Amino acid sequence: MRWVLCAVYLFMGALLFALPNMTRRELLFAVPVPRDFRESRAGRHAISVFRAVIACVVLAGVCAVLLSPVELLGAISLAVPAVLLLAGGITFYRQNRKLAPSAVQFSRPREAELTAGPEELPQFAWLAAGPFLVLAAAARFLYVNWDRIPARFAVHFNASGQPDRWVERTTKGVYGPLVFAAELSAWFAVMALAGWFGSRRSRSRTVMLGGMIAIEYLMGFLFALIAVQPLLGIPVWMIAVSPIAVLAPLIIVMIRKMSEPSEPMDPTPNECWKAGILYYNPNDAVLFVEKRDGYGYTLNFSNPWSWALLSSLALVIASARWVIA
Amino acid sequence: MEQSPRIRIDPASGVPAVRQIADGLRVLLVEGQLIPGTDLPSVRRVAMELGVHFNTVAEAYRQLASEGWLDLKHGRGAVVVERTVPAVRNGAWVEDFRNRLRGLVAQTRAQGIPADGIAAELRAMAKVVKR
Repeated sequence: MRWVLCAVYLFMGALLFALPNMTRRELLFAVPVPRDFRESRAGRHAISVFRAVIACVVLAGVCAVLLSPVELLGAISLAVPAVLLLAGGITFYRQNRKLAPSAVQFSRPREAELTAGPEELPQFAWLAAGPFLVLAAAARFLYVNWDRIPARFAVHFNASGQPDRWVERTTKGVYGPLVFAAELSAWFAVMALAGWFGSRRSRSRTVMLGGMIAIEYLMGFLFALIAVQPLLGIPVWMIAVSPIAVLAPLIIVMIRKMSEPSEPMDPTPNECWKAGILYYNPNDAVLFVEKRDGYGYTLNFSNPWSWALLSSLALVIASARWVIA
Repeated sequence: MEQSPRIRIDPASGVPAVRQIADGLRVLLVEGQLIPGTDLPSVRRVAMELGVHFNTVAEAYRQLASEGWLDLKHGRGAVVVERTVPAVRNGAWVEDFRNRLRGLVAQTRAQGIPADGIAAELRAMAKVVKR
């Protein structure tokens, strides 16, 4: 189990390490800069400092996981990703502030097509229904094999891979993860649609829709595996590592698609970005805008619908308490 | 395939967005690129594409409706309508038009655009107006 934890931390570290390259060339630590700024002394220094911090924290985390006594492993397994994200966030913010004086304001005219026809979703949007079928199939499988499900089975495992929580074979205990996954999938489907209809027309919008549907599938399959685990005895490490197997190629595909330079950067006003991460512009009707701290989209927090979407996610997560045994 | 008419605004121009939108639409209406019966896209969609507030687009639509170009029916959006051209009573418009044109030419020259280029554009514009 220690090696699985190390693999997860190394994956997180690799993602953070690559973060400065996971944006357009006109952005560095969410600061809009000239295209050749990365090669300048200041640009290279900012990237080096960020990567040095990430490398140190990942190395320390891996050592802590490999060398710590078993009784501390649980606490360390939670502390390492938290420290990694915190250190990454603080260093990102510090570099963002340091580079802020070098920021340039990208500006270009905006155009609107005057067609009143309804906005059509790409045909692949129907794939968003797929995860519900996966969950339904898992539920059917459990229903048919109800008698083969152990009367009491493990639902939680500690950092050493040993079970530390069990539930009885009840409707809630067996189907709970599937119901929760259906809620999550529905939320992701709503996000995908909100992203499509709440952002400006661009090719990245299609990629975002595809990415959201892919994450919906990831959730669907992951929870289907968790639900059938007591019946099929799938190794826990396989369930823990499977998201990486899906996320890694997904991230690579999204980076390739979105880094195609044919579309210019969305010229959002610099002053509306807080720390380069949060977009708050009451004078922009859009709900989703292109991110500055990586590929993808983020919410315009001045739009009330952004808070509705976040609140609904909080409700979905809170519902786990009642849905899952 | 024929391209749909588009309006364009430049946030860096210093001209208020509502005026740029109303002016852009008026040009399309006068040139006949937007004909009576055409449904305009929703305020929400135009505002999102142009990166402005809903009210800015709604105000531009209202302005054009007050000029008789659009019909704003609740729940149906904005529709281009047949407009009766107002009768001009005297030649007072010439002075007003000339002043506005001189102001625009002066502003453009102040931006460093050569006088020859402006004159050529005005000649081309005159041909379009005559058609």
